[in-house]
Amino acid sequence: MRRSVTMSIVTALAGMLFCAVGAARAADEYAFDPVHSSISFKARHLDISWIHGRFNEADGKFAIDKKDPSKSWFQFSIKVDSVDTANKTRDEHLLQPDYFDSKQFPTIDFKSTSVKAVKGGGYEVTGDFTMHGETKQVTLTLDGGKEAEFMGTKRVGFSTQLSLKRSDFGFDKKQIGLIGDEALIYIDFEGARK
Amino acid sequence: MPDPFEYLLASTFAAGAAAIVVVACGGTAAAASAARTRMALLAALAVGFAVGGFWLRLPVSLPPTNALGRLACIVLPLASGIEVAAGCWTVARRYVWCLRLALALASGRVLLHASVYVSADKPAWSAWQAAIVVLLSGALLALVWSLLVSLSRRSGGVSLLLALAETTLGGGLAVMLAGYLAGGEAALPVAGALVGCGVASGMRRFSSGWFDGALGLGVVALFGVLFIGHFFGRLSGGRALAIFLTPLLCWATELPIFARQPAWRAAALRLSLVAFPLIVVLVLAKHDFDRDTLPLLAGMRIDS
Repeated sequence: MRRSVTMSIVTALAGMLFCAVGAARAADEYAFDPVHSSISFKARHLDISWIHGRFNEADGKFAIDKKDPSKSWFQFSIKVDSVDTANKTRDEHLLQPDYFDSKQFPTIDFKSTSVKAVKGGGYEVTGDFTMHGETKQVTLTLDGGKEAEFMGTKRVGFSTQLSLKRSDFGFDKKQIGLIGDEALIYIDFEGARK
Repeated sequence: MPDPFEYLLASTFAAGAAAIVVVACGGTAAAASAARTRMALLAALAVGFAVGGFWLRLPVSLPPTNALGRLACIVLPLASGIEVAAGCWTVARRYVWCLRLALALASGRVLLHASVYVSADKPAWSAWQAAIVVLLSGALLALVWSLLVSLSRRSGGVSLLLALAETTLGGGLAVMLAGYLAGGEAALPVAGALVGCGVASGMRRFSSGWFDGALGLGVVALFGVLFIGHFFGRLSGGRALAIFLTPLLCWATELPIFARQPAWRAAALRLSLVAFPLIVVLVLAKHDFDRDTLPLLAGMRIDS
């Protein structure tokens, strides 16, 4: 009698564990593919033209639950000292405390707090965007979501862009002028399923 | 863009505000007590820094998020607190020096807090490296601090305040020329306030032993600006060290050959001795600025 009760409990626990694992696996988890992703930006110079640049190093991961998109999540981290504006002197200048202050704030991070599906396969992702030590809530509209299988690995890609004001993120307001306050950031990323 | 006129105004306002506080609160030499004068000088430095910093709109927020904020909101107030305790109450001198030493050793760590050097997540330095940097820089700060205070007690402090102002101004300009404008700008109100304290103290003929607190606060501010300029900006270690040690040249007036000089000549000698290495460092810094940064601003091609 005691043995059958024990067996019943073990079976029930195993069943719950199986269900939990099954539920967790309902979302496909992807690793950010740095080779096929790009994070670039542009900002006004003297309010007459645009300076373009990119961040060469970023990392991240995301999970997509097609059945229940609210269970999806996205997070990425950009290495500030990988900034590249095709001018080494300017890159070093941008890392100084008057701008990115890379020794104090080495990364730009995003972590989603809610995800909604939008028509056309994309997602509306709201989350905490942290730059220069300041965290603000931003909403990214991820376009795309097309999937492909390559060399046995399922891949999915998205594109998004956002406009930020540097002054909202604690940048020294006196240094805004030569380079404009607003920065446009373009993120195109591909994820490979884990 | 840097605006020399704004810098001049901020330094002048800081000097004026500091001088007014000294004159208003310090009393006359005959009537003033040591404690009252020390407090007045510390208050004058704090007010001068606040006025100049406000005019320059220094990027300091509460709670502080960067090294400049930690210098202005933690390190300098702590230094002021220690000097207030030293000046107000009859605390034994050895305890005062224990507090000063503790602050000197802690300052580097406070300024580096949460930076890539010591962050919890993959720090750039090992614990040993961080400890060595913090201890060495703290020991250096304590050494310069103690030597200036003992020189002040030995042979007058007004010229030391002015020499320290000269060095702080030079340090700020060097940090700015290395590309960190806000860090260098923070030195300008300090330099202005030191000048205001020095001039007002000279006019009031304060006793030489009353400048410990103001000198200490000035040395900690100079240390902070140079430390931040080196570890967060691009001021080279050699230049930061050279600038920080420059005020010690004032000890040259204690050599026997200068022993019988009148006070004004000794003061002029001190200021000249301090100015010379600062000019050399600033000329080199300007050369580097013209080579590296000016072409960037002017949009010229840099051939590497």
